[in-house]
Amino acid sequence: MTQFVFATAKYASGDWESAPSLPEAVIDAVVRYTTIDIAPTGVYVDLSSHELFNFPFVWLTGHLPVRFTDDERRNLKQYVERGGLMMIDDHNHDITGQFHKTATEEIERLFGKMTRLPKTHELYSCFFVFDDGPPNTHHELNGYGDDLLHKYLDAILVNGRVGLIYSSKDYSSEWNFHAETKKFMQQDPTKFGVNLIVYALTR
Amino acid sequence: MHSLAERARASAEWLLRIAVLAILVWLLVWTIRAQRHGAVDDAVTATLAPKLARWSTVASPARVHVRIDHPPAGRERDWLAALPGAGTAVNWNGPSLVPTAIAVEPRIDPARGADVSVAAPDSAEVVLADTLGVLDSTRATRSGVRGYIPKFRGTVDAVVGPVAARASRRDSVELRKLLVIGQAGWEAKFTVAALEERGWQVDAHLVVSPKGDVRQGKIADIDTTHYSAVLAIDTTAARYGDRIAAFVRQGGGLVMWSPAARTRALASLAPGAGVGAAITDEGDVPPDSAPRSALELVPVTSLSPDAVVLERRGQDVSLAARRIGRGRVLETGYTDSWRWRMAGGPDALARHREWMASLVALVASSGHHAVPAAPSDVAPLVTLIDRLGSATAISEAAALDPAVIARWAFAILCAALLLEWASRRLRGVK
Repeated sequence: MTQFVFATAKYASGDWESAPSLPEAVIDAVVRYTTIDIAPTGVYVDLSSHELFNFPFVWLTGHLPVRFTDDERRNLKQYVERGGLMMIDDHNHDITGQFHKTATEEIERLFGKMTRLPKTHELYSCFFVFDDGPPNTHHELNGYGDDLLHKYLDAILVNGRVGLIYSSKDYSSEWNFHAETKKFMQQDPTKFGVNLIVYALTR
Repeated sequence: MHSLAERARASAEWLLRIAVLAILVWLLVWTIRAQRHGAVDDAVTATLAPKLARWSTVASPARVHVRIDHPPAGRERDWLAALPGAGTAVNWNGPSLVPTAIAVEPRIDPARGADVSVAAPDSAEVVLADTLGVLDSTRATRSGVRGYIPKFRGTVDAVVGPVAARASRRDSVELRKLLVIGQAGWEAKFTVAALEERGWQVDAHLVVSPKGDVRQGKIADIDTTHYSAVLAIDTTAARYGDRIAAFVRQGGGLVMWSPAARTRALASLAPGAGVGAAITDEGDVPPDSAPRSALELVPVTSLSPDAVVLERRGQDVSLAARRIGRGRVLETGYTDSWRWRMAGGPDALARHREWMASLVALVASSGHHAVPAAPSDVAPLVTLIDRLGSATAISEAAALDPAVIARWAFAILCAALLLEWASRRLRGVK
């Protein structure tokens, strides 16, 4: 049985490696709270390679404009249609920023308009319960980026299942820290990351 | 004083005269008998219908012989079978008829469709057709033909040469839900996804942590009124071991991945008591031609005596099944079949879904309802033999032909007379 491996997508444009410690923090949370068999370190996987299909959950982030190549577009479409789950997070936390504009353009070009995930969606209750939908980040609360509290995540649904999640909440900044830092925190901010993984593995 | 040769010759002439008289007497008796009981008559497939009407009305032959090109329709077959009751013996032969039989079983699958089994001679070409036309054709192997028909209308015919065996669906299935139990992981996720996409309603218990698991649906009592089959992905299914065993004995189906067979609670149900060393997945793209060849395999080993091997990969058993009580258990050694769906060729998504549904269909239980069935003839040659007896050899049949008998009798008669006359004339006697 395959071990879960946290994979981060590499793509031709932009700064795909902008949250290098995020996998470590999320993996730590998964190990801490669940019995899921997870690899101790994450991997980077090229969005244009066939290797992408060996990782049914992939994280994609960046600050810079995103322009997918034809191979990346073809792979991403097939990946989502076959049941993979891609999480795309705007590292700028700015809906007027270049990443948001270009990434959402790319998504809607491939899949059409995204759907807003309601706060009652099982993503928010499949392990930890988040009654108010996606948890806010410090970057939102401190007024960085677009100075907005994004209350919802957007998604592409395939056969009723979430195939792609788009976040303007900047979890890439929120969770980009060494796991040991958690002992100095009152609350573990990566708990929602556990829900993402559990949802990906069970729905 | 006559010599010995002359006396022998005279005796031969007397024998010939007696033979001629005997043939004439036999012909007289045969003619009288034919007048009283009707003559021996014959027919071929094309003339059978009018001949049947004749044999039952204006003529009453003592014996009929029918040369058959293809099995007669039920009405004609029954009519022939009734003739002996009216004093007419029936012989038949049909050298071109090949034994053929068909069975159609509704598949326990939301996509409906049916499994078709055809018995036919090895290498014979088998054409499957429904009332709208040809569905498919293939060559029979030593074990006949087995296939799946997603949809058909009316009846299904298996046509082998001049023989067409016909079957119809006699009942419909009532599906219950499926229950998937396993550790949260890709195999469990994509198993549930494939079956739901196929149309199954799936409950799931996916283990995430000691404190909280993911449950999909309201998991009911594990019995055949709620579930058609249980799918045990891994060792976590052992927590339901006793209930799964009772469910299977009651008639439910169980699909178990080979790691689940390692648990004490489920080992007694497994077709294979042992589990071989895993043949790891090298990460190759599952090829369209043999997609399961690239997947990780944990072979099924130490097969129980009643286990049936359904698939091998090389020397290793990859699929095996057995019956337990009224239920059936299937064990699969493919522990990461999800890779086929995600990383396989263009049709991988659909083919993986179909394959997963076929595993469930092999074991799942269901309610059955009889449906009005169209007339069928599942084994025409067998039915013909059952009604009319075995076919008569061609030589025997030809011997019974009245025209042949008359020709031979006349020829023998002429030869005997000629010989007797020639013999007398040659020795100068008038």
